[in-house]
Order: sequence, then structure tokens, then C-alpha cells
Amino acid sequence: MIHNIDLQTVMQESASPVYMDLVTRPTGRVVRERIERAFDATGGPTVARMDFRGVGCMDYSCADEIVARLLRERPAVLLLVGLTDGHREAIEPVLIGHRLAVLVVQVDGTLDGLGTPEVADELLEQLVTRGLADRLPGGMVALTAP
Amino acid sequence: MTRLVEVPSQLDDRSFETFTSSFAAAAQNGERLLFDAHAAEWASPYGLVGLLVAGQAARQRSGRSEPPLLTAPTHAEVSSYWARAGFFREAADLFEIHGRVPKAKPAEESDVLLAVTPVRAAEDVHEVVSRIQQRASAILASELQLDPKATMGFAMALSEACQNIVEHAGVGGWVAVQSYHWRRTLARRVVVIAVGDAGIGFRQSLEATQARRFGERWSDAAALEAALIQGVSRFRDPGRGQGLAGIRRYLARWDGKIAIRSGTARIAIVPSWDDDVPLREGLPNFPGAQVLIIIPEQGSAKR
Repeated sequence: MIHNIDLQTVMQESASPVYMDLVTRPTGRVVRERIERAFDATGGPTVARMDFRGVGCMDYSCADEIVARLLRERPAVLLLVGLTDGHREAIEPVLIGHRLAVLVVQVDGTLDGLGTPEVADELLEQLVTRGLADRLPGGMVALTAP
Repeated sequence: MTRLVEVPSQLDDRSFETFTSSFAAAAQNGERLLFDAHAAEWASPYGLVGLLVAGQAARQRSGRSEPPLLTAPTHAEVSSYWARAGFFREAADLFEIHGRVPKAKPAEESDVLLAVTPVRAAEDVHEVVSRIQQRASAILASELQLDPKATMGFAMALSEACQNIVEHAGVGGWVAVQSYHWRRTLARRVVVIAVGDAGIGFRQSLEATQARRFGERWSDAAALEAALIQGVSRFRDPGRGQGLAGIRRYLARWDGKIAIRSGTARIAIVPSWDDDVPLREGLPNFPGAQVLIIIPEQGSAKR
């Protein structure tokens, strides 16, 4: 089963309803702690889909708290949806700095690694092995689960 | 007795050491300070933020009974710009101001992308990022020919620069953003971020975790080098230190410049279009930290 996280909702519930941007470390910490509680309530998902739609700017501090630190404290296969170039720019270096990776769900459902390439390859392999993703002709990997 | 601090007629990052020198000399006896800006002709966002920082430091020292004095620029155009840039609004809490202070007009149609804005807490950083995105994105793209990707990174860099105050300074500070023509070495338009505070500075912030590693070489310059070049943070968490590293990456990509002054030193990452000095030591002591970020108009340069 894939656990769904709507970041915009989490942000508005945990920080402030008027915030559209994931900036500052305190904001990132509050959002991460809320996600961790949701993870813990389900017994700790091994695969989670994090939806970035509706999130404005994300800075490096928030990327570190919400993505990298979450992965360090609650290891999981993290699928990112609705990622903009700006989000990607904030997240990629912090993942590489910690030798971590996530998978980005493209519009056509295929998956793209973000972060440390070898770690991203391992994540793709995990999803295929567990039947949550298929290898397509041409080497791409796409989600099978909705 | 009142001691005079001369404000250079052109107050910017280049003349700033003239100002800090005057400030350091006047402040050493703990007497009341008079910041004389009557002859000011121009001030960059860095200059205006720096003047507020000096006022904040003088105010902290003197208490509320005897605030430092400030003579406003006599040129109507200059004081009008200072008002438009939000300077007087903030200065009113720090200085006893003498001279004519015009009412501030909204800065919406000007090159002031973000008027001088106080930064004290994380909420202020949210506010700054939100405002800059609404106001600056179109200008950055149209005037500076910045790629939309660069405008996203701009908000990130601004956020991280402001967070340095919230996380490390121990007191509030200010941020200002403006675009203008950089005649000195570039002859192109630039967008400038100036951030400053009168807090503890880089050396004290990093002292507990870094001083032993540097031994006798520990200084303001060593602290700046550790923070900007080596990406160290006072926090032991391995995820810390991302902010300045992220700003550096962003500036490397868009041929930008960063300079940080703290205590008696100043460090800069100098792009090819500028002639600044990478590291200066033995400067007049000035409180807190001051950050200058410059992103030039994009020409045909590849990145």
C-alpha cells in the first residue's frame, strides 16, 4: 500500500493556513513531525507518495527537514508528485549531500530518480520486486499501483 | 558629549568601510552618537541596512533614554528615495531623527523590489518570500532577462539569507531588495539583496563548535571562511549548513556575487565581472553580520 501525503494540506494544518511556501527550518520541522506522526499511525509505511501540488517556493532548509531528514528518521521509498523545477532545485542537493534519493512521478506515470543515482536505482528495483512498478520497454519504470 | 559618525555621501558596499571606521572610532567611548547623513546623495540597499544596523547597535548600548541621533538627507530627492525604500519607517524606532522626513509612498512602481523589511522570526521570512514572489518575478524576468528558474532560486536564496538572522543573530535584522544599474564594473542592471543585523556575528555563532579546530587562527575571517567556503554550521546536525551552500550554487549558476561582512572581516565570492577582494581582515569592528548578494542581468553567457 502507498501512503499519501498532501503537502499543501499538511502545511496549512501544521504551520499557517495562509502559507503557500515551504520555507524556514521551523516550518519544515513542524511539517515533518506531522508527517512522521501520520507514518507512525499506519505502522510506518515503506512507500509514500508526497504531493507537492499547491506548494509555492521551497528552500533548502525545508527540503532538508521535510525530505532528507524524514528519510533519515523514517526510511521509506518516497514518491514525489507535482514537483516543479524550483522544488527539484532545493531537494536534489540535500539528497545528494546525505547520499539519499527519492523517485519523481512524471505526468505519464513513469518514475525518475532524484538524488544519489545508485540509491535511486535501488528504490526502483524495490518497487518492481514488490509489484508496485513495472519495467517498460526502453528501460523506463512506471507505477502499476494507483 | 555627542560623537559624530559621518555617513558617506555615496553609501554603498564600497564606501561602507569609511562608514564603519567612523562608527568604530565614535562608538569606543560609549557616548551618544550623531549619524550625519545630511549630505547623502545616494545609498544602496546595503548602505541603508548597514545604517540601521549601526543605529541598532548604538541603541542597544544607550537604551531608550538617549537614542542615537540621525540627520536626514537634505536633498529632497534623496530623502524621498530613503522613505520609499522603507528606511525611515525602520529608523524611527532606532534614531531621534532631525531634518525633513517625507511620507513614504508605495514602492510599487519603482525599482525597490522589497523595501527595508524587519526580519525577527520565521514568520517574517515567510512574509518576505511571499512578497518578493508577487512583486519581483515579472521584473526579474523582464528587466534582468532572468530565466524563470532563476527567479525561483532567487526566492530560495533570499529565504536562506534571511534565516541566517533568525537562526544565528540573536537579534532582529533587516532585508532589502532592489534592482538598479551597476555602472561600476558591469554596465548592466543587477538585482541586489542586502541583509544585515547587529547580532552576535559569525565568529561568536560558530565559536563553540569551530574555535578549537582552528586554534590560534580562529578569527572573524576564519569563521566567515568556515561558514561560506566549508559550509559549516554551529549545529552538529549533518543537514545544517545548507543555506549558504545553496546560495553559492545559485550564484555560481547565474554569475552572481556574495559578500559577507562580520566583525572585522569580509569575505566575498567574486565573479569575473567584479573587482572585489575575496577576503579582507583587520577592518574596523562592526556589529553582527551583513550579507550582500548581487545577481546581474543575464546576457548571452551560457550556463
